[in-house]
Amino acid sequence: MNISQAFKMAWKSIWGKKGRSILTMLGIIIGIAAVMTIVSAMNGYTEKTMEQYNAMGSNKLQVYIYSYVYDEEGNNIGKDYFPDLYNYCKTLDSISGVTPQGWLSATVVYGTKNSANMSWETDEQGNVTSAPPDLYLGSDQYAVCNNLTIAKGRDLTVLDCERYNQVCVMGSQAAKTFFGTVDPVGKTMQVNGQNFDVVGVYASRLSEDLASMSTADNFIVFPYTATRLLGGERPTQFIVKVRSAGQLAEAASRVRGFLKGLVNPSIGDSQVYSNDEWQQQMNEQMAMISLVLGGIAAISLLVGGIGIMNIMLVTVTERTREIGIRRAIGAQRRSIVTQFLIEAAMLCGIGGIIGILIGTGGSYLTGQLLFHMTIYPALWITACAFALSVLLGIGFGIYPAAKAAKLQPVEALRAE
Amino acid sequence: MTAMGKHLIELRDVYKIYGEGLESEVRALDGVSLTIDAGEFVAVVGQSGSGKSTMMNVLGCLDIPTRGDYILDGTDVRELTDRELSQIRNREIGFIFQQYNLIPSLSVLENVELPLIYQGVRADDRHDLAVKALERVGLADRIKHKPAQMSGGQQQRVAIARAIAASPPIIMADEPTGALDSHTGHEVLTFLQQLNREGSTIILITHDNGIAATARRVVRLQDGKIVEDYRQEVDWF
Repeated sequence: MNISQAFKMAWKSIWGKKGRSILTMLGIIIGIAAVMTIVSAMNGYTEKTMEQYNAMGSNKLQVYIYSYVYDEEGNNIGKDYFPDLYNYCKTLDSISGVTPQGWLSATVVYGTKNSANMSWETDEQGNVTSAPPDLYLGSDQYAVCNNLTIAKGRDLTVLDCERYNQVCVMGSQAAKTFFGTVDPVGKTMQVNGQNFDVVGVYASRLSEDLASMSTADNFIVFPYTATRLLGGERPTQFIVKVRSAGQLAEAASRVRGFLKGLVNPSIGDSQVYSNDEWQQQMNEQMAMISLVLGGIAAISLLVGGIGIMNIMLVTVTERTREIGIRRAIGAQRRSIVTQFLIEAAMLCGIGGIIGILIGTGGSYLTGQLLFHMTIYPALWITACAFALSVLLGIGFGIYPAAKAAKLQPVEALRAE
Repeated sequence: MTAMGKHLIELRDVYKIYGEGLESEVRALDGVSLTIDAGEFVAVVGQSGSGKSTMMNVLGCLDIPTRGDYILDGTDVRELTDRELSQIRNREIGFIFQQYNLIPSLSVLENVELPLIYQGVRADDRHDLAVKALERVGLADRIKHKPAQMSGGQQQRVAIARAIAASPPIIMADEPTGALDSHTGHEVLTFLQQLNREGSTIILITHDNGIAATARRVVRLQDGKIVEDYRQEVDWF
């Protein structure tokens, strides 16, 4: 007997008992759908997060320098360590840039546009049409550290920082928000009532689909020394951009060592983290969540598989006489095994396909509802899910099939 | 002519014993020796419990004797593997059962094709052979029907078509008329006689002396032993 015949027979048997077949498949359908949804949603989320994260620039060190010197009114009057850090980083080949990472809380006004009145608005496609921009503090190397390139005008300079120049550079989304199609370069904005000139605009960092749902380009960068004029905390957090991932550890230990010598532990403190570690931590966390959720889904698959085995055993018992007839007219044991194995595998395979369809919808919905992302299962996940369901069928079909093949023709023929 | 001698079937001192050594031991075949030549029409007759069904199972390679030799067409059946036994049942023997034993989920055509499928015959040839067999039993117009949609006589004719589809040299019929009325039963018998005239070896198992009277040779079983074995003239041969 050839395989295509066996497939035809299996299909006949499954189609002949549609209701029972569907009920039998239900366990597999639910299991596969759950596994698909969980694995692909987690996978998609991790991937998109990484993409966004990489767009911001990887190979970074997070540096924290705290100073605990205060005046009578409680203002921090500790030393500004940034110039020292800046100069030290310049001496290291492995480091391409360093910048403060700080936030300015201020109101930005241009004409009728006022950041204090801006609310989150999106159009039907989910594109951000309006949002209050983030106000960042940075050095002349802010762009290097954040994978930004100038699209129009010029970048911040060392002099801007040293001379407390009242200038700023805008992210592409912020420029769109405030100026629309007008060229912002040369325009003057009011920041907490002070005049700041827009000297440049950065190019968007994000691919089209990410840009539509992210506000990552919605920012304005000021020289970090602008805090003297505008008030607010001096940045305590800094970004050090390392040239390659391989140099990350070495750069981290050098910077760590330098800061140990620089900051007197009785009046301050410093910490250096590698972003790699953060990335690794996040990966580990996601893997752990995937494992736990996947484990739960796997249990439902196991239950589904046992259901298949149960029904196949019933089928073998019901069809004992048929098996006897087939054996009497010349079916070999192998043919009987093949027939029942293929039937079980096909049952699970069909259940798997239905489960994959539901799982695809599930991961799309999960992406939309939980992560606000468009997530479709990767091809390898779909392929694995299908292979898994067929393997389950074969795995749980072996026992019933072997039982069928072991029947003696004479006894099988005697069955009612 | 067969490889080892002149006989198609040869049983030598065959025993089939259930629960041997126990007090409840049953000797379904108790030292049976029998030879059947190609082209014979043999009726194996006996009361229920005489061992005739066991005889059919042994002769049909569905069951292996406890002791004794069964030489089928020169081959010692006791030495064959399950796979080889399957092949013999498939190619050498066509079975007709009292309860027709058609597979209810398959159509008439698919039932008749079944032995050809297990023989590995190509789909086109299989279809042609099956249709030809169904034409012979007069059911070529019913090939799409399911067995349950047919009368008992028609179902038995389908079973006959299945038995002859692969043109096996031996036809074994186990009470083939048992479930039929006398008229359709007679039709089935006439058909078996026709097959025998064309050269098939027919082995007919029955409890009915009237049916046995139409066979060219009668082997009577009682308590697992052959008590009578004679040939007779018949009007149809």
